[in-house]
Amino acid sequence: MADDKVMIVMTSGPDTPHRCATPFFFATLAASMDYDVTMFFTIDGTVLLKKGVADTVFPKPGAKPVGEFLRGALEAGVKFLACTASTELNDIDLNDLIPEVKMVGGATMWQIAEECKTVMTF
Amino acid sequence: MATIRGCNLPEDLFYNIEKHVWAKTLDGGVLRVGMTSVAGKLAGGKLNAVTVKAKNIGQEIKQAKSLATVESSKFVGPVPIPVSGIVLRANEKLAADPNIAISDPYGEGWIAEIQPTAWDAEQGALVSGADGVAKYQAKLEAENISCD
Repeated sequence: MADDKVMIVMTSGPDTPHRCATPFFFATLAASMDYDVTMFFTIDGTVLLKKGVADTVFPKPGAKPVGEFLRGALEAGVKFLACTASTELNDIDLNDLIPEVKMVGGATMWQIAEECKTVMTF
Repeated sequence: MATIRGCNLPEDLFYNIEKHVWAKTLDGGVLRVGMTSVAGKLAGGKLNAVTVKAKNIGQEIKQAKSLATVESSKFVGPVPIPVSGIVLRANEKLAADPNIAISDPYGEGWIAEIQPTAWDAEQGALVSGADGVAKYQAKLEAENISCD
C-alpha cells in the first residue's frame, strides 16, 4: 500500500564520508513508512554504487560502513537509479556497479521528480 | 509472566513472533499493540524515535503493514501492525521518551490502539498463552536471539 512517492537525490560520495549514511537512513525510514522511495545517484553519489566501494566508506571512524546503510535501504525496498552521465564523469564502467542499480538519463529524474510529493537532495 | 532467554514475554498477550509485535484486547474490542522486548533488543541501544505516521490515524492499515517506525543509532525499520485495523490513537508519551518502548514495552511503552477489522480471520496468525510463548522461545533459540 505504498502511497506517496518520494525521491532522494544523492550527490555525495566517498570524498565526504560523513554525508553518506544519512541519505540511506532516511530512504530506509521512508520505505518503512510505506512511501514509494527512489534514490537517484548523480555526481559523486554514483561512486558509492561501485562494487565494494560503500564498504570502504565510514561516516564515523569505528562505526559501520556506508555499505550497511546502503544494503538496509535495498532490503527495505528503496529503488536505486543512477545518472548515466555521472558514470562518464567518474570514469565508471557500468559492469563495476552493483546489480541493483538501474541506469537512466537525467530526463527520467525530472519525470520522477514531477510524480513525487517530496524530493530531497544530499 | 515468562522470561525467555532474558526476554520478558507475558502469556496474556497475542504475538506475531515473526514481526516481534504484540496485541492485547481492551474493552470494546479495541486492541492495544506494541513491540516486544525482543524487538527492543534487535533495534539495539537507545531509541531516537518511535513514530506513528499522523496521516494513518483514523485509517485502516492491513495486517503486517507498517504501523510505526523505530529509529535508533543502529537500526531503522517498521513496526508492523499485528492484525488489520483502524488506528484509533498513538501513544503520545513516545514523543517525549521513545525508550519507554524498550524499558516498559507492555506497559507505558505501547505504540497504538486499533480497532481490528478482521480479527476473526487474522488472529490465527498470532500466538498466545503458554503455547504461544513456547513457540516464541523456539524461534529465539533457532535464531540464537537473547535479550541478556
